[in-house]
Amino acid sequence: MTGTLSGPPTATIRSASTLDDVRGADNAMSPKRRALLGGKHLLLVVLSLLSLFPVVLVISTALKTDEDVRVNPFGLFSSFSFENIVTAWTVGSFGDYALNSFLLSVPSTVLVVVLSTMGGYTFARLPFPGRSICFYLVVLGLLVPFFTYMIPLYFQLRSMFLLDSLVGTNLVLATTGLSFGTFFMRAFFSDLPDELEQAARVDGASEWQIFLRVMMPLVTSGMGALAVFTFLQNWNNFLVPLLYLPGGGYRPLTTGLYLFLGGRSIDIGPLAAGTLITIVPVIAVFIALQRQVAEGFLSGAVKG
Amino acid sequence: VSSVAHVPPATRRAQTRLGIALILPLMAMVVIFFLFPLVNAIYYAFVDFNGINLAPPFIGLGNFVELATDPAVLPALWHNVIWIVIGTASPLVIGFALALLMWKVRRGSLVYRVAFFLPYILPQVAVGVVWTWIYDPTRGWLNQVLEVVGLGALTTGWLGDPDTALYAVLGTAVWATTGFIFLILLSALRNVDAELVDASRIDGANSLQRVWFIVLPQIMPVFLMVTTLTLVGGFSVFDFIFVMTGGGPAGATEVLGTYAYSSAFQLNRISYGTTLALVITVLAIPFTVALNRLQRRLSLQGTGA
Repeated sequence: MTGTLSGPPTATIRSASTLDDVRGADNAMSPKRRALLGGKHLLLVVLSLLSLFPVVLVISTALKTDEDVRVNPFGLFSSFSFENIVTAWTVGSFGDYALNSFLLSVPSTVLVVVLSTMGGYTFARLPFPGRSICFYLVVLGLLVPFFTYMIPLYFQLRSMFLLDSLVGTNLVLATTGLSFGTFFMRAFFSDLPDELEQAARVDGASEWQIFLRVMMPLVTSGMGALAVFTFLQNWNNFLVPLLYLPGGGYRPLTTGLYLFLGGRSIDIGPLAAGTLITIVPVIAVFIALQRQVAEGFLSGAVKG
Repeated sequence: VSSVAHVPPATRRAQTRLGIALILPLMAMVVIFFLFPLVNAIYYAFVDFNGINLAPPFIGLGNFVELATDPAVLPALWHNVIWIVIGTASPLVIGFALALLMWKVRRGSLVYRVAFFLPYILPQVAVGVVWTWIYDPTRGWLNQVLEVVGLGALTTGWLGDPDTALYAVLGTAVWATTGFIFLILLSALRNVDAELVDASRIDGANSLQRVWFIVLPQIMPVFLMVTTLTLVGGFSVFDFIFVMTGGGPAGATEVLGTYAYSSAFQLNRISYGTTLALVITVLAIPFTVALNRLQRRLSLQGTGA
């Protein structure tokens, strides 16, 4: 994973891991070291299973038959049926919730990636008077938790007629990701060599063309990592839809699941199915785009 | 900065125009959906707003005085402190141990990393639901396993028992955060000078000494960085508690975050809830700044050496 990472923060990680690859010759190993490694693997397998157990439990319970859930809800894989999934998707409205989750995470993610790329480029490469103060205002968002201003924001959205609206919630979700996104993209643009920009300028490119045609194509890996990271954050967000979609018209999976939990706590089968529906896209994105996910979260931590 | 000096004025003007155009939408959103409500939060803290009257009366430090004398605040703050200490220390220790275990392992390392990191990226609501089942008093896996291994005396209704509820929710949070810390520390370990470690091995340092004197100092900046992250997150913990216990039983898991939420949105005490939320920030910021400063100093020393 780290071996193929690209972008500024991980350059050193890459070279270090290739070094590792050269050194760690598995086949030239003493029996003692081999036994030690075997023990390590055994321990790691046990710990991995422990780490994944709750996820396995969700899958197992979601795929049980109705009777089995009632008798033995948490026994692993004792029966097989899709009835809970069907019930959750239709009767439990998790189908609608899933659609709403998409409508809330995709536009906000696009907004974050586009605006952060534009902002990151400016803060890295386009100096103008007053730029620093703008930058500080943006990254102030990294220091102040959403908690601090969530209550006034509720009343502000209400007076702007943006409560219970897809547009309003998307805008709020996007704003919570902009501070990090701008900070993240700025680092990518800062690391590009000045010569590129100057050469393009000599060739007669306008500033706009330099941004769009020369520089932006070089940071697409960063934009990809930011997109995946932001999508997961927005998909998982609970507090924003809980607060700003009180009418429930556009309820996403997270708050839908919470509602279901409070409403009929005995219906473990459909609840498990709803939980599974909520986490399956996350798992799918993670498995498919594992490198981008890790890069996003790692650099998020390193720079934030 | 120096390269900026010999940019021709025409170019600089073009850059200024483009720069302003590019950050305009960004700044508009930051101002409207972040700075404006943030300033409003400070305003709310000094008035008595109930969500209805649009011209709330100014009450000065009234909210802060009430906060200082509210008998529910101190226990909630104490729960935050427990959450911060245990919720920071345990994932750090476990994550570091895991990272050390994985350090020289190459085969299958991708699978292990996925397995350990996955819990961190799952929605906390979903995680809360599953762990509620694991903690189920009669059919939950935790109690069943305890029975099987002969520790039946320890079984309890984890989330319903005021003595254990906070720690049970914390356990869930530790499970979810450890993978994140593990991944960061593992990538930091890849930058540790292997020759130094080997040299100390030849000098007769045992593995614990190698970790403590050779490895740990080299990854200290990263260590402090993840400490800051989990520590600051501990002040504004909300989702897990809200979903799993809702602050109960009998306030046993109430933290400042859930208390601020219920004050504002269940009791319509908007100003009081906002003041509580402000206090969370004011408490968290000094820690962030101090740890960041320490981290910067350490990493500067690291590059200088």
